Amino acid sequence: MRMVVAYIRRVFKILRAEVLVLPSRVAVLVFIAAVLALPLVTQDYYILRIMILTSIFAILAASWDLLSGFTGQMNFGHALFFGVAAYVTALLNLRLGLPPYFSIPLGAMGAVLAGLIIGIPCLRLKGSYLALTTLAFPIILMGLVFAFPGITGGELGLSGLKKLTGSRVADYYVTNVLMLVLGGIMWKITDSNTGIILHAIREDEVAARAAGINTTRYKLLAFCLSGFFAGIAGGLYAHFMRLAGPSTLEVGLSFQVIIWSVFGGMVSIYGPIAGVFILNPFMEVLRIFLDNFPSLPEMRMFIFAALVLLTLRFMPEGLIPWLRDKVESECPRCKVRNVFFRRSCRICNAEMT
Amino acid sequence: MAQSFLEVKNLRKEFGGLTATNDVTFSMGRREIIGLIGPNGAGKTTLLRLISGILKPTSGSIKFKGKNITGAKTWNIVNMGIASTFQNMRPFRRLPIVANVMVPCLSPRAMKRGEWVKKVEAKAMDALEFAGISDMALEKASTLSQGDLKRLEVARAVATDPELLILDEPFGGLSPAETELMAKSVARLHKGGRFGRLHSEGPAMIIIEHKLQQLMKIVDRIIVLNFGTILADGPPDVVVKDPKVIEAYLGDGGTTCS
Ligand SMILES: Nc1ncnc2c1ncn2[C@@H]1O[C@H](COP(=O)(O)OP(=O)(O)OP(=O)(O)O)[C@@H](O)[C@H]1O
Ligand SMILES: [Mg+2]
Repeated sequence: MRMVVAYIRRVFKILRAEVLVLPSRVAVLVFIAAVLALPLVTQDYYILRIMILTSIFAILAASWDLLSGFTGQMNFGHALFFGVAAYVTALLNLRLGLPPYFSIPLGAMGAVLAGLIIGIPCLRLKGSYLALTTLAFPIILMGLVFAFPGITGGELGLSGLKKLTGSRVADYYVTNVLMLVLGGIMWKITDSNTGIILHAIREDEVAARAAGINTTRYKLLAFCLSGFFAGIAGGLYAHFMRLAGPSTLEVGLSFQVIIWSVFGGMVSIYGPIAGVFILNPFMEVLRIFLDNFPSLPEMRMFIFAALVLLTLRFMPEGLIPWLRDKVESECPRCKVRNVFFRRSCRICNAEMT
Repeated sequence: MAQSFLEVKNLRKEFGGLTATNDVTFSMGRREIIGLIGPNGAGKTTLLRLISGILKPTSGSIKFKGKNITGAKTWNIVNMGIASTFQNMRPFRRLPIVANVMVPCLSPRAMKRGEWVKKVEAKAMDALEFAGISDMALEKASTLSQGDLKRLEVARAVATDPELLILDEPFGGLSPAETELMAKSVARLHKGGRFGRLHSEGPAMIIIEHKLQQLMKIVDRIIVLNFGTILADGPPDVVVKDPKVIEAYLGDGGTTCS
């Protein structure tokens, strides 16, 4: 009993010293709590469905940031990982009867493998060549899907996968907790020494090589990790929707990922996650709202585009970094972040200007 | 040179129709410190980039400690012990200075060499200390002055603990006082010893410079490059009196006077 009390005390002490001092950390804590508590507030079938898809897309967007945001290799075909994983997961489940906890990780590995076969020749490409090539691959794969309907189900896709779990609330917790854990892992990777090397590669690849870094290896590492996480998202999607269809490879999805990330704030992992959690539910609300006006079919995409463009016009770094700069400022001496209203730095006591 | 530490043979690099280095041949010993001079466009930087593997030669060969490194990958060459700086500084702009230097500290060579220093950050700080910019460790590289960027270049190169260090105009953009300081640190590094937790055996050096006066004080051999060919090679006092060298420099408008 005393140990439990001591433990709780310690947690509170850490909370007070490390979390409550910074708005951004409080925001993360609130976000985690809200995600975990949502089913206690509502178990509405439709709302949970939206939030499950949101968490799956959040994993996808964060994984894009890990590759494109951090190493600077713009991937315009991120749906490739998502789609391949969805199909492989579906095949493993339907043909071999593997349960989700095997079919999804294996599907993700399949996505990495496919990515490698296609991606290794691309490693030398840069800039717009890389962008165009990455854009093309999911489209080529979509052609393959239609060419072999016996295996892929053609236009209809593969349906009838086993459910992710037995209930919608359980589905919600599986996808959302995975989103939090994988998001945490990705953030930790980028916050480590490996993260510094990825930053360096984006800033100046030649200079990184001249510093003795095997940049090819690190780019490949980022590629594989990113593909794996995106693949997990694809597998979750297939099992949740009980369907793997050509829409998982669509160009639209690849662009959606980029829009979410750029809107939320690239090169941060949390930015893209926030971007999805804001934009995806917003789009659904908009859909419901606009359904009252059936004469305006194209308004939804228009409003969406206008919103994103306006945001970027006034917050070029994305929404979250912009907000963060509003509520936190950097100590001029030790560069630690502080709440904006502090007069002196919480670490080094230097005067904040 | 009895021992073949670095052997460059008939090294040639052509950019389209332009021959930047024209069959350059020289060798140097483990303890040497060489000044590489020549008028603008003589091919000095090109020669450096060929040795560091950033450029692949059209023909010719480079041997380092008996191994052929012609056309090898830049990172492999660095990890074998050849570090170099960029004349037109290439920092990782959006990273803090200390992170800039942590990158070379994370190279396999640096990790193996300074195993006793647990924290990569501490290693990076030692290199910054050596270059004299440790007080700016947390500033973003984009905020540095030209002179400090030069020092950052040197810090990054030193961080891999090289056996051969090639500096491209390390005094460029520095004030006379700063130049003096940089020259002193470079000479001190060449002798070897302890710099914080950084223990250096003292790398051999090739220094590309236009500021000849300061260069002459620290080097014991000078190679003069002109139009991609070696014009002269010998002790500083002999080379500066060479009529061919004087002519090349006067023809270029007298860059010697700096
Ligand atoms: N990447 C390149 N492509 C084409 N030409 C190049 C390239 N790099 C260098 N050159 C040319 O090769 C010649 C040698 O250039 P280099 O940079 O080696 O001269 P340098 O001796 O370092 O001159 P400086 O003292 O001005 O630094 C120059 O004529 C230059 O224009
Ligand atoms: Mg040059």
